[in-house]
Order: sequence, then structure tokens, then C-alpha cells
Amino acid sequence: MIRFWKFIGYVFLALFNAFSIWGALFLFSRGFYELSITFFVLVFLIDYFIFSKGAYPYRYMIPAVILLFILVLYPIAFTIKTAFTNYGTGHIMTRQEVIDRLLTDPVYTYVPDEGKNYIYEIFVRYEGINPTGDFKMLVYDENGEKYVVGNIKPIRMQAGKMILGEAHLIPLEKYEVMKENGKIITIMDGDKTYNYFYSPVDKETAINEVFFKSKIAFPILSKVEIVNNRRERLSLRFSNDGTLKLVEIKHLYRMALSEVVENGKTVAKATLINDLTNRPLLEEDGTFYDFDENGDKVPILGYISYLGGENFTKIFTDPTISGPFTKIFLWNFTYAALSVVFTFAIGLIFALVLNNNTLKGRTLYRTLLIIPWAIPAFISVLIWKNGFFNETYGVLNRFVVNGLFNKESIKWMTNPFWAKVSVLIVNTWLGFPYMMTVSLGALQSIPEELYEAASIDGASKSKRFWKITFPLLMTTIAPLLVGSFAFNFNNFVNIYLLTSGGPAIPNTSTPAGATDILISYTYKLAFEAGRGQDFGFASAISILIFFIVAGISFVNFRISGSFEEVNR
Amino acid sequence: MKKLLVSLLMILMVFSVFAVKITIWTSEAQAPILTKLGDEFKSIYGIDVEVVQVNFNDIKSKFLTAAPAGEGADIIVGAHDWVGELAANGLIEPIPVLPEKDKYLPTPLKAFTYNGKLYGIPYAFDGPALIYNKDYVENPPKTFDELIKVAKQIQEEYEGEVRGLVYDFKNFYFSSYAIFGFGGYVFGEKDGKINVKDIGLANEGAVKGLSLIKRLVDEGLLESGDNYNVMDNMFKDGQAAMIINGPWAVPGWKEAGIDFGVAPIPELEPGVKPKPFFGAQGFMVNAKSPNKLYAIEFLTKFISTKDVMYRIYLADPRVPSRKDVLPMVDDVTKAFAEFLGNYGLPMPNVPEMAGVWGAMGDALSKVLDQGIPVEQALKEAVDTILAGIK
Repeated sequence: MIRFWKFIGYVFLALFNAFSIWGALFLFSRGFYELSITFFVLVFLIDYFIFSKGAYPYRYMIPAVILLFILVLYPIAFTIKTAFTNYGTGHIMTRQEVIDRLLTDPVYTYVPDEGKNYIYEIFVRYEGINPTGDFKMLVYDENGEKYVVGNIKPIRMQAGKMILGEAHLIPLEKYEVMKENGKIITIMDGDKTYNYFYSPVDKETAINEVFFKSKIAFPILSKVEIVNNRRERLSLRFSNDGTLKLVEIKHLYRMALSEVVENGKTVAKATLINDLTNRPLLEEDGTFYDFDENGDKVPILGYISYLGGENFTKIFTDPTISGPFTKIFLWNFTYAALSVVFTFAIGLIFALVLNNNTLKGRTLYRTLLIIPWAIPAFISVLIWKNGFFNETYGVLNRFVVNGLFNKESIKWMTNPFWAKVSVLIVNTWLGFPYMMTVSLGALQSIPEELYEAASIDGASKSKRFWKITFPLLMTTIAPLLVGSFAFNFNNFVNIYLLTSGGPAIPNTSTPAGATDILISYTYKLAFEAGRGQDFGFASAISILIFFIVAGISFVNFRISGSFEEVNR
Repeated sequence: MKKLLVSLLMILMVFSVFAVKITIWTSEAQAPILTKLGDEFKSIYGIDVEVVQVNFNDIKSKFLTAAPAGEGADIIVGAHDWVGELAANGLIEPIPVLPEKDKYLPTPLKAFTYNGKLYGIPYAFDGPALIYNKDYVENPPKTFDELIKVAKQIQEEYEGEVRGLVYDFKNFYFSSYAIFGFGGYVFGEKDGKINVKDIGLANEGAVKGLSLIKRLVDEGLLESGDNYNVMDNMFKDGQAAMIINGPWAVPGWKEAGIDFGVAPIPELEPGVKPKPFFGAQGFMVNAKSPNKLYAIEFLTKFISTKDVMYRIYLADPRVPSRKDVLPMVDDVTKAFAEFLGNYGLPMPNVPEMAGVWGAMGDALSKVLDQGIPVEQALKEAVDTILAGIK
């Protein structure tokens, strides 16, 4: 029996391996190199854990390893890679893909002025009385000679679908035909018979137009270029009256050798050339430029290219970015530190109160106090913003400041100091229940005997707190405080929803605000400035923030580690 | 292995040939009517139309994620200011031929034009006008001096219970009318081409326009706590006599039972017309979709006809962009159409617009909240925008 299950297990493993390796190869062929490598390494590790005797204990880590690779390591690798590129608005395809599109996409074709219209007729094979999608296309050239469109072979595929195909014209003589009143009504190919079905100029077949368009023209013919014996390309295009005409088309861009100046030297290189103007396209900063009639360059398509460390150097050398950096960094540090201090202090006070056995209705208080944590931050931040801090209609100004104290309204959102205060208030509100909960847990673990002994020795209440409760609490909570610091350091949601970083700092030409923290500032720089999205720059910044947070956390852990001395 | 791959591809190809379907991503306002229209199109052409309802604010970002991989909807329904970014990324397809092009108002068409090509079929447009509550205002003011006088009168008469004028004035979109009315502009234009290096947001006109809004604050009409929600709620509760808002909010006012009128935003100075931003809504085609031609056929042969455009208007009452549909609409829509069609400016659709909103929002808050001189704040905004573009 065990042998049977073992066999089943190996079958599954073999299937898993086959599937993963196929997937990895597939991803590799599509250009997703990092993800492909991730899969390969993953499969290798899993097989190693299972087959190697020495790696036996690691078997239990397999699920974690899978998650680690796919959810942690791959995104990190991808972020690092992106940080060195110009990935963003106007640069979202690979260079090869852009060239492919410029060479083959129907958008980049044109109908030459002297281009001719070709008359075409469609013949389909019937099954019983129903037409099928199996068809032959008869094309008349300008001398009235007749050709049949031969087999279609795909040139470009995308996600398993044909994007562009090519077919050649075959003289009609190769086929057997049947005529009626001099008009061809059937074409025979082998044992298949195709009947006359549709022609755009024949009114009698107009009834078949819908079938022709939906089953033949759009799904198949619109993606096919028909090459005639003069090597001209014919394709279906919408004409000005909205009908589909078979016209001669030319590709706007072609690949050819041309002389380009590179690093001061003239070299021959395969470049894209505009067929109408015969000028090579300019390739600059990861973008292909064409030239208009005035000689001005017009960007066509951009691609993802490697920039080296440009995104990183920009952070430090561009004065519009580095200018308010120190100011924002200092506030960011203050914001994270004060958030931790306030949430911890308030949470601890509540925990101490709730931990008192003589307090009645503790469950009720505890439930109420946990509410801020239970409501999604998105909602409560917006309630604070609109309901409490609104300068004219908010509860705080209207009823407390104006009504109760009869003072002038506080400029919660527009004065830099008060904006900082309001951000801290909201963050404390959101964070204290967490601190309260962990403190409550930690308080339970402090043995009662310590307090008994201390009170027998005559220690005061405050002395008992500072000498017993606090140090013992810190041994468990200190690492959580470090985590909380790191979290608040990057607490984008709170800042962005509450003040959006505002109020704006005067005398700068950057989108910096008084309550901006690094992550919200860089979000603005990367996504709300310039041309919209700049994933490359955003990645560079997030790597930088990672190092800052990691550095601070390391120091914090060192400091918090000193509390553990107490326990020894 | 290769043989297996090839045969797999063949199977996929066969499926793709027979499973013909156009997918449309649209927001909730148009989803039901488009579903109905899709069924009608199917009965004519035998092509399935699948309408997927997506939150309006997510359509562009979802499309930006899916389309580069050759996936995503064949048609998206969205705002014209997406055009620049999507076209720069090569994700939307120009409309080759728009039948009855002369039947459209020129501005919505221009809004969907980028680098000289039409990238979408506009069905509607919307933008802000002056909305007044007929209980407090009988005749809408014709000039700003008049507006200030009327608003102050109302505030005195109702002893602070009713505000004369409320609107989201720190939002560049809603305050653009004054800046552009006096001659400010976002990006300069030469021969129909937008020059993003030429920014007219700190010129004399822009300064004059922002000073006018500052005057509204100084005269005590606008409060620093005003925002869109405050305006909307106050107007529905009858606590605001005049607001500046767009046609999208009309159903809400009707539901609240407000007897309202729509009028042009008053002249800034005698003879100086306000020029608000407006946005056009339209259909765009996925450039990487294998069903491009169907999508184009669906839009040009079916959606863009007068009759269908009118039915879309009935389901989603915004200002239609076809001239021959305009006479059929109700008075409120006509009032919006008259003002916006004559004086509105389509928001620039270039990707560089991304940096303008934040910078101008900051400038408005610097002037109106922090008392920083108008010239300085606007100059800083222009510097910020330029720094982002280069």
C-alpha cells in the first residue's frame, strides 16, 4: 500500500516537474526571464529536497519556499531590474516588439496614391444548406485576369492568435471551375466545392454581407496580406464610405541598411526607414522618432531600455528632487517615531487599565477600544478628513473650537504645523488598539509573584511599574515597536488620503508638501508629475527607501536588544 | 516538444477563429444600455458583444496593465484625457473613418485627436456651469460683480444659514474658467500641435484669473473648508444658492427636489467670457486586440449613428457630442451644451498633463490658503511642471 502511494507521489512529482519546466520554457520564450529562472530554481530546489537524503528536513519547507520565491524573491528581482530601466509612460514594450509592430501592424501601413482597387469575390463551401467558414477568394487584377488566394501562412502570432498572415495568388487555371452565363459560380479544389457567395459590387449577394464580415472578413481576411506576382501587397481596408475594399497597401516602415552616425563615426546599420520620406528613423532615449514635413521629430513608439544608474543619480543630483529631500526625510523620521511613541503610550495606558481585575465591564471597553483597528483605515481616514478636520464644517472647528472655546478656526489642513498634528492624531487613533492588544497579551505573561514580592519589599506602585512591568514588557514588545516604526515610515495610505502631502511648501519647484513622507513624495514624483507613470524611477526610489528602513531597523534592533539583557 | 507546442497553437487558433466576441469595458452609467445595444448588434452581425462593468477610475489602469500583453477589452469607454498616455504607449488604435464627421461638434472631436489622428468616438462631454437654486436666485447673474453682490445679499438675508456661492474652488478643474478666460493656457499650440514646453499658466491672464478667485475668498464668499462634497451636500439641502458643477450631478439634485437652473458662468469682467475645462467621453479601440476591425465596425456603423447616440443619451444624460442629437435633449442639457459648446476648452490630452494637476492644485492652495502672492505661486507651479517634463 505504501509503495502504491509512493508511486502516486512520484507520478505527481513528475507531472509537477513537467508542467513547471514547460511553463519556465514558455515564459523564457516570451521574454519573462526572471520569472522563468525563478521557476527553474524552484523546481530544482524542490526535487533536491525530495531526492536528497540529507535535505530531508527541508521537505516541510516546500510550501514556504514556493511562496517565498514567487511572492518575495521574484518581485524583489523585478524591482531591482526595473530600477535600471526607463519603464513608464511611452516605454512599456520591448524593443523587438516595437520593431515588430512598426513593420507589421496595419496602423503603420498606407494606401499609395496610385494604389488600385481590386475586385474580389468570395466562394464558400456549404454543408447541406448552411455556409461554412471555409472559403476561397477570387481576385481580379486590372487586366481582368483571375487569381485565387492560396493558403494562409501566419507571419506574426500573439498569444496563440494570428495577428498577421500572408497568402499568395494562384492563377485560376490551377482550379476546376464551373460557369454559368460566363460567370464563375463554383470553384473546385480537390474534392471540395466552393460556391459563389459574396461580392461587394453584386447587389444580389448583399444578403450574405453579414456572414461574410463576421465569419470570413474580420476574423481571417483582415489579418492577411495577399501578395500578387508583382510583389504588391493587397489587403482589406475600410474605404471612406465604410465598405471593405481590397486595396494595395504599403508598409510605412521597412528595415534596411543605412548609414548612421554613432559615437562620431559613420557606420552601416540595420535601421527602420520611413518608406514615404526615405529617411531613417531616429532612435533616442528608448524612443523611435519620425520626422514630419517641417523636419520636426515626432515620437512614434518607445521601448524599455536600460539606463544604468541614471534613475539613482537623478535622486541625488537633480535639485528639483533632492531639494526638499532633507526636510521630508526629517519629518518622515519624526512622523514614524512620534507615531510609535504615541500609539504605544496610549495603548499601554489602556492596557494597564483593562488589566486591572477590579474593573467592571472590561470586555465591553475592550471591544469599544478595538473599533478603530477594526474599521478599514481607508474609511476612517476619510471620515477624519471630511468630518473632523474640515476647516469650516468639521466637528472639531465648528463645535469645539468655535462653539465651546469661541476661538478662531484652526487651519487643520492648510497650516503646516496643524496639518502635521492632524496626521499624527489620525495615525495614533488608527494605531493604538494594536499596541493595546499586544501590551495586554504581554502583561498577562508577567508573573504575579514578582509584584507580590515587590510590594512586600515596600516598592511603590510607580516603582513597580518602572522596575518590573516596563522592562519585562519591552522584552516582548520592542521588536514590534521596530516593526511599527518601519510600517509607519512607509505609511502611504494615511498621508495620501488625509492631506495628500499638503499643504504645499512655498519656494520650491517640486511637488513637495509639508506632511509628505518619502514614499508619498516619490509617488507624486513618479506618477503625478511629468508624463504620468515612471515605474523605473519609482523602483529606484523604493530600493533607496528599503535601505533607509533596513538601516534604521538594524539600529533599532540593536537598541531594543539591550532590553533583553534585563531578562538574563 | 515543438510538435506538441505547434499542435497546441493550432487548437488555440481554431478556437480563436470561431469564438468571435467584442469585449467592452465601461462604467456603470453606460453598462446597461451598451448591453442592450450589443444584443441588437449581435442580431444583425452575429458577433457577440460582452459588456463588462468596470469602475470608471479603474478602466485606464486596468487597461494599461492588460493591453500591453495583448489582453484586455477590445473597446474601452473613457475620458478623452486618457488618449495621450494610451496612444503614446501604442495601446489604442486610430479610427480610420468616422462616418458623418461633420455632424459632430468640433471640440469633442478635437479632444479625442492626438498627433493629428482621431483616437476615439466621442458620445458626450461634460464640464462645469453655474447652477442656481431658483428659491434664492431669480435671474442668474451676468457678471462676476453682479454674482458677488447677489451672493452677499443672500448671505445677509438668511443670516449665514444659506451660502451665496459654494464650489470646489481649490480644484484646478473647477477654477480653470477664470484662469483661461483672461488668457491663461496650459500648453501652447502651433499648427494644431501641442508644445508642452510652452506653458501659459503664469502669464498675465492666469494671474488675473487666480486673483479673481482670491477676491471671492477675500470677500468672504468662499470658505477654506469648501470641497466637492460640501458643495454637493449643501446644494441638495438647499443651503447653497449658487454652485459651479457639471451635468453628472443633475440626477442627484432632481432626487433632492431642488428647483434649479443652469446658466453660463458669469462674465469675469464685462466682455470677458469664462472658459472652463471640459471633458469628453468616448469609445476607444485596443490597438493590440485581434478583433480591431469588428470593434471599429461596431463603433462606426452602429454606435456612432444618430439614433443610437440618442439612446445612449437617454440612458446616461450627458451632453451629446452629435449636433443632430442636441435638439432632442432636455433644457438642462441644452443649457450645458450651449455654454460648454461655445466657451469650454477640452483638457489637454497629452501625457504631460499628469504633472499639471498636482502643481496647479498646490499653486491654488498656496494662494488661497497660505496667502502667498499669486505671481509667485503660479511661477512655482510652472517650474514644477517643466521640471517634471524634461
